[in-house]
Amino acid sequence: MTTAAAPHVGSAPLIQEIETASGALLALCFQCQKCTSGCPIAATTDIKPHELIRLVQLGERREVLSSRMIWECTSCQTCRTRCPHDVDLPAMIDALRRLSRDAGKVTPDTAVPVFNDIFLGAVRRLGRVHELGLMAAFKLRTGSFFQDAGKLPAMLRKGKLALRPTLVRGRARRARTFRRVDGIEGGKR
Amino acid sequence: MSYVFFPGCSLDSTARGYRLSTEAVARALGLDLPELPDWTCCGSTAAHQSSSLLAVALPAQNLLAASGKTMAVACAACYSRLKVANHEIANAPATREWVAGVLGADYDGSTPVQHLLEIIRDEVGLDEIGKRVRAPLTGLRVACYYGCLLVRPPDVVRFDDPENPMSLDQVVAATGAEPVEWPYKTECCGASHSITKVAIVERLSHDILAMARDAGADCIVTACPLCQLNLDLRQKDIEAHFGERLGLPVLFFTQLLGLALGLKPSALGLDSLIVDPLPMLAKRGLAPRPGARPVVAAKARK
Repeated sequence: MTTAAAPHVGSAPLIQEIETASGALLALCFQCQKCTSGCPIAATTDIKPHELIRLVQLGERREVLSSRMIWECTSCQTCRTRCPHDVDLPAMIDALRRLSRDAGKVTPDTAVPVFNDIFLGAVRRLGRVHELGLMAAFKLRTGSFFQDAGKLPAMLRKGKLALRPTLVRGRARRARTFRRVDGIEGGKR
Repeated sequence: MSYVFFPGCSLDSTARGYRLSTEAVARALGLDLPELPDWTCCGSTAAHQSSSLLAVALPAQNLLAASGKTMAVACAACYSRLKVANHEIANAPATREWVAGVLGADYDGSTPVQHLLEIIRDEVGLDEIGKRVRAPLTGLRVACYYGCLLVRPPDVVRFDDPENPMSLDQVVAATGAEPVEWPYKTECCGASHSITKVAIVERLSHDILAMARDAGADCIVTACPLCQLNLDLRQKDIEAHFGERLGLPVLFFTQLLGLALGLKPSALGLDSLIVDPLPMLAKRGLAPRPGARPVVAAKARK
């Protein structure tokens, strides 16, 4: 199949690239739309799951990589569970998210990549996620100070936010793990 | 079976009540759950969205440290990531090799992973729970909410039916309470969009709460920290946004079990819930046993 892939992209068609990266067999999709019927975000996002597969099959790189859908997907696994051909849509979407970041095509309408970076940065430094620190860092980076600020007093009163992170040994080992992953994957993050 | 406990990050903060009630119930049931020393975060959604290798390496590091024991997991999301890591390492030799390169040690994917719900139902057993119930929750109508990752994808977790799971219903029934029949057991609450896109969580969590209410439930019981947080912490905003009364306490299943075992509300962290469950329990004639410190008193003292 020839595709309408953008000229600056490598020679592999999008479907091949995503199949290799995710292990999902996207050519098997016959558009039954069972994925979309059960998808919790299909009604409110820009591209429905069955349309996303079709666009990948057609090589519509720009539309797919800059979609809101790939970031609004909740990874609930319902589509994969119900697919009659066992197409692993969540794995496909994870691969699209990584490709979207690598290609600089992330929609400005999502804060998920920023959140992910802060989250993984915390794991790298502390070993665990310290929720209060995570929320503060996210709000600083996105300027969303007032969203949920009203919930802080109740959460603190009810002991839902530990003030200090727990100390976890093995910082050097964690740093090595992240460094090696970066090395293997080309330090894309 | 010899267990090692993997609590997950939430149990130290937003799901403090889950940790307290798990520890109290484990003691009461004679389950030994020593915590895995220096465990690290499973990587959660952030890892699998960012790096397929990191998403397997982070859980594998913990699984390797737990070798020889069964890992007992409290959080449904950690449970999923640990199970997926085992599955990928056991089924893809290339992945196993990559992970060995990253960790500096080979891991074969063989450390068994079980969720607390699985352990309580299958290792402790429903008969044993029935025998140990001191304060049966008779008349309490409970919507058992499983969420996504405890049951999906079924070929990886291999635990319960992905469309109509019953394990939680069975444990709840063993406490004397009545699980309601309802169709939203495994719908998604919106998960980590709680921070990145609240509107998604409010819509999805509203649908779950409203369905539980319409099914006649007095409360919801869950086995996932993020589901609990979304349904409980956001409930007031959801009521305001949709102009509806919900008023449904959302408990961890270990908290409900602990109440039936006759444990004090304070020992189960009931005071860390946003929607106070005590008025609902009192209405059903299930006020905690005499001598227990009521949560309302703690509030009044403040």
